[in-house]
Amino acid sequence: MKAKKGEIIMTVTIGLICFVLTYVMFMQFKVVEETDITQIENARESDLREKLASWTEKYEDVEQKLTESKQRLEEYNERKIANQETTELVEKELEQARQLVGITDVKGAGVVVTLEDDNDSEDGIITSLNLRDLVEALRLAGAEAISINDIRVINMTEIVDTDAILVNTEKVASPYVVKAIGDQKYLESALNTKTTGYIDTMIRSGKKVTLERENNIKIYKYNKELNVKYLNDEGE
Amino acid sequence: MIFIAILVGCIIGALLGMNAPVIPYTMSGYLAISIIAALDSVFGGITSVLKGNFDLKIFVSGFFGNAILSIALTYLGERLNVDIYLAAIVVFVGRMFTNLAIIRRYYIDKWTNKLAKKNENDKQDNITK
Repeated sequence: MKAKKGEIIMTVTIGLICFVLTYVMFMQFKVVEETDITQIENARESDLREKLASWTEKYEDVEQKLTESKQRLEEYNERKIANQETTELVEKELEQARQLVGITDVKGAGVVVTLEDDNDSEDGIITSLNLRDLVEALRLAGAEAISINDIRVINMTEIVDTDAILVNTEKVASPYVVKAIGDQKYLESALNTKTTGYIDTMIRSGKKVTLERENNIKIYKYNKELNVKYLNDEGE
Repeated sequence: MIFIAILVGCIIGALLGMNAPVIPYTMSGYLAISIIAALDSVFGGITSVLKGNFDLKIFVSGFFGNAILSIALTYLGERLNVDIYLAAIVVFVGRMFTNLAIIRRYYIDKWTNKLAKKNENDKQDNITK
């Protein structure tokens, strides 16, 4: 009886052990099969880890590069904007300087003063002095560009009497059309002042003077070369 | 009786194992090692049965103990970055081959003895005739 009990225990135990063994084995077979299907194949975990690590490193590298590139791009953009601003400023200044010096055609609102020789009256002939007075009066009133018979008056311009009047070494003759661009109100009022004003003075001395406002005056550029031979900037 | 138990256990195990849930691939390495250890124990058990010194306690404790120990060692190896499971496989499979050799020798001896006995009997029969 005792021997039989031992036999039963042994039978059951061995049966159980066989069950466990085959169960685990088939489980493993299944796992291996499934893994093959998902194509990880024989890759070991450590290999995969290594690969993952290397890829992570690469990714980090690339990301860093990207950030750097972005930063650089931003810097360039900023610098570009700054450059643009300076360029614009300089160009604006240059443009203004060119306009003021008189080497560009300009247009704008202003006044046109026409002086005419009156051959009938005494003192009716216009002299260079009259023109110079007019130019100075216009400048005083804030004229930004002046021309006499479409010859640009710049800071180097001479207005002198020879047999005719020379402006920029070119002869001009009556009628003298003096154009000036500037604040129309100022220009007009400066010339139109009663008794002491330029026009009154001229008319009193028997000359023909007319003053007109014009909104679209065109003044041509100085048509000769501007050369600087003797000037040097101080402090350079 | 024992053979029936083995057969039933194997069949039920196979059926259930085929429908078992799939464990993660990382775990399957440990499982494989434990299977090798268990197989080694089984062959060792068969050898001891043939030798006549089979002990159920030793067999069961070896079966589960070796499996668990091999899993633990593999885990330790993973932690230490040493492939300890290779050593376990070498030991277990080596022992399996030794046990198989013992089993083979035992049955071959038995067979040859049987043949020799039969020949002797035949001879004796011939002589008596």
